[in-house]
Amino acid sequence: MRDAIALDSVSLALRGQPVLDSVSLVVAPGETVALLGPSGSGKTSLLRIVLGLVAPLSGAVSLDGLVVSREGRVLLPPEERALAVVFQDLALWPHLTVAGNLGFGLAARGVPGTERRDRTEAMLRRVGLQGSEKRFPGELSGGQRQRVAIARALVHEPHAVLLDEPLSNVDVDLRRDLLELFAELFRERKATVVFVTHDLREASAIAGRVAILEAGRVVQVGSVGELSRRPATPFVQALIDDRALPAREILTGDSGRPQQVSE
Amino acid sequence: MAAAVGRALTRFLRAYEQRAILAVAAVGVAVFCVLPLGVLLARVALSPPDATSAWSSSRPWILAARSTGLALAVTAVALVVGVPLGVLVGRTDAAGRRVAGLLHVQPVFLPPFLLALGWFHVFGRRGALGSEATSAVLFSEAGAILVLALAFAPVVTSLVAVALNGVDPSLEEAARLVARPLRVIAGILLPAVAPAIALSAIAVFALAFSELGVPMFLRVDAFPSAVFARLGGVDYAPGEAFALVLPLAPVALALLGLERRFVGRRSFAVLGLRASERDRLKLGRWRAAASALVWIAAGLSGAPVLALFWRAGQGDGFAQMGAWVGRAPWNGLVSGAVAATLITLVGLIVGHAVARGLPGSRALDALVVLAFVTPAPLLGVGIIDVWNRPALRPVYGTLAILVVGYAGRYMVIGVRTLAVVISQSSPQLEEAAAVAGAGFLRRLTGIVAPVHARGLAFAWLLALVFCLRDLETAILFYPPAGEPTTVRIFTLEANGPEPVVAALASAHVAITAAAVVVGAWRASRGARG
Repeated sequence: MRDAIALDSVSLALRGQPVLDSVSLVVAPGETVALLGPSGSGKTSLLRIVLGLVAPLSGAVSLDGLVVSREGRVLLPPEERALAVVFQDLALWPHLTVAGNLGFGLAARGVPGTERRDRTEAMLRRVGLQGSEKRFPGELSGGQRQRVAIARALVHEPHAVLLDEPLSNVDVDLRRDLLELFAELFRERKATVVFVTHDLREASAIAGRVAILEAGRVVQVGSVGELSRRPATPFVQALIDDRALPAREILTGDSGRPQQVSE
Repeated sequence: MAAAVGRALTRFLRAYEQRAILAVAAVGVAVFCVLPLGVLLARVALSPPDATSAWSSSRPWILAARSTGLALAVTAVALVVGVPLGVLVGRTDAAGRRVAGLLHVQPVFLPPFLLALGWFHVFGRRGALGSEATSAVLFSEAGAILVLALAFAPVVTSLVAVALNGVDPSLEEAARLVARPLRVIAGILLPAVAPAIALSAIAVFALAFSELGVPMFLRVDAFPSAVFARLGGVDYAPGEAFALVLPLAPVALALLGLERRFVGRRSFAVLGLRASERDRLKLGRWRAAASALVWIAAGLSGAPVLALFWRAGQGDGFAQMGAWVGRAPWNGLVSGAVAATLITLVGLIVGHAVARGLPGSRALDALVVLAFVTPAPLLGVGIIDVWNRPALRPVYGTLAILVVGYAGRYMVIGVRTLAVVISQSSPQLEEAAAVAGAGFLRRLTGIVAPVHARGLAFAWLLALVFCLRDLETAILFYPPAGEPTTVRIFTLEANGPEPVVAALASAHVAITAAAVVVGAWRASRGARG
C-alpha cells in the first residue's frame, strides 16, 4: 500500500535561517501521527509544506505516491491536493455562515447544490451543531467554533487532515471533549491525520505514533510507549518527565479518567 | 479525448490563474500610470523637443524654483501643524477631540482653491473680516503657503493619528512607567510613527507642488500655471508645454526614491486600522490649552467653508446657480465613480499582492506611487500625448479621458489602502480556502473581497473623493462640455458672479459631504464581523 503522506529529506530555510533539516516521515493511510515539538521547532512549517503553501528548499513530498512538491517547487497547488486543514486560530471565514463555511470548499470542488446541502447538514449533525447553519462564526462559542472548523475540514472527505495545534486556545474540560470528538470522527472515517501539538498528553490521546521535532530535525518517531522506554534524546526524556500524567496513560471520554494506551 | 483536453486546459488555467489576474491588474497600472510618462519620455528620446525656447529665459527656472520653495514651505508648515494635532486628536484626552478632529480633517476632501475662495470671502478686501492689509497678505506667497498648509495639514494629522492607534500599546505602557506623557510622545510614539510622518510629508509636497488653483487664484506665479497657460491659456504653445514639463521627471523620481527609502513596506506596519482600547494620555494641566488648540484648528478648517455658504446666501447665489452649473456635477460624479471603481478593482488585486508579498508586487506599488508623486502638469501632458489622437477620440473626446486621468493619478489610493487593510488580516483565511479547493479568483472574490468589504468601500470612497476634488489634472484635458464641477467653478471664478461661484462651491462641498456620509453609512452597514 502506498503511503498517504511521505516526506523525503525535506529541508526549509526562511530568511536565510534553517527551519527544517532533512526531515523524513511517512504516514500510512488511515493512520494518525502527532507532530510534537517546542515552539520554533518547525512543526507548522512542516505542515505548510505538506499543504503546498510553502515549497521545500530540498527534498520531496508525496501524497498517495504522487510527488507534489520537490526541490523548491510546488508541483501540485494546495487547492488540488484534496487535503484539509484546521489552523491554530481556526481561520473560519467571518463573512460566511456556518453552512457557508462548510459549503465553500464543496462548491469550489464542483459539488452540486443539493448534495452540498445534504452533506453540510449531515456533517453539522455529526458534530452536534444541527440548527446552526445560518449562524455566523462571530455568534458561536469557542467550542462551537472548534466543531465548525473540524466539520469544515472533514465535510469534503479529504485525502488527509492536518491540524495545527487546534486546541491550544481552549480550556482543559473543553479540550478533553473535543479530543474525544476528533478521535471518534477520525476513527469512523478512517482518516489519515497529522496532528501538530506541543502537548504530549494531547498527542498520546489522539495519535498512534508521535514524531518528535527538535530544532528542525525529527529526532524520534514511535508510539508513546516506545518514546517512554527508549527516549532518543534528553529533550524527549524531558518531554516524558514533564508530563502531568504517566506516559502510558491518556485522557479519554466524558469522565476525563486516565485509560491505558493500547500498544 | 475532449474531456481530457478540457481537464488539461482547466489545469493550465488554474496553474496560471493568479499570475494572469495579477497581469491584468498590471496592464491597468501600465495603461493608467506608466503609459503617459513612458510615451512622453520615449518621444523625447526619439526626437528631443526644442527645449531651448521654453527654458531659454529665466522665467521657467524662477517658476520651478518658486514652486519647489512653495511646496517645501507648505510641507514644513503642514508638519508643524499636523504632527502635534495628530498626537492630540489620536492619543490624548483633549476635550471634543473626535468632533474637532473631523472638522479639522474635512478640507482634505475639498479642492484647495475652494478653501482659497472661502478665505477670500473672510480676508479679502470686501470679506467678512477683510481690509487692505489682510487682502495684501492673502494675495501673496505667504498667503498661498498658509492657505495650502491649512488645506494639507489634515493629511498629516490623519496619518499620524491613525498610525498612533496602530502602535503596540505595550511600547507606550512600558515608557509610561518611567517617563511623563510628553517624553513618551516625543521619545517613543513619534519615532514609532516616523514612516507615517514621512509618507504624509511626501504626499503634501507632491500635492503642493502640483497645485494649480490656489496659486492662480491668489495671483502667485507657480510652475503648474505656466504649463497650463501653454495648453489652454493666453500663451498657447503645446510644444513648449511638453518641453517645460520634462525637467519635472527627476522631481517625481526623487519623491519616489524618498518614499522607498523612508516609507515603503513600513507603512503597512504602522498604518493600522485597529481600534485602540487603551487609556488615552492624560494631559493634566495642559488639557485646556491643548483642547483650545484642537478647536482653533477645527475653526480654521471650517471658517472658509462657512464663508462660502455665507457669501452664497447673499445675492441669490443659490437661486441663480442652476443657470450656471450645467452638467458639471454629473460629469464629476460619473467620471469620479467609474474611476473610483477601477481604482478599487486594481487596488484589490495589486494591494492584495503587496500585502502578501507576491512577486512583482513591489514594482507595481512603486509605479502607482510614481504616478501620484509625479507633478500633475507632467502626468497631464503625458496623458494628452498618449490619448489626443484621432483614433482615440472616443476616449479623449468624452468623459472617459477624465476616468483615465483620475485612475492614473489616484491609483495609489486603492493600492495602498487595500494593502494596509489586507495586511492586517490573517493569511490563513485565504490558505484555508486554498486547501479547501478554491482557486485564486474564487479566493479573491469569495474570501478576500467579502472579508475586507469595509476596506473596499473605504478605498472606493476615498478614491471618489480625491477624484471629485481634482482640478490640476482634469483642467489640462477635460472634454468639450465635459468639465467636472471643480473646473467649472475655477473657470467661472475669473468672470462669473461672486454669489453664484460661492453657491457652486458650497454645492460642491455639500455633494462631497453627502458622498462621504452615504459611503461611510453604507460601509458601516455593509460589512459583517
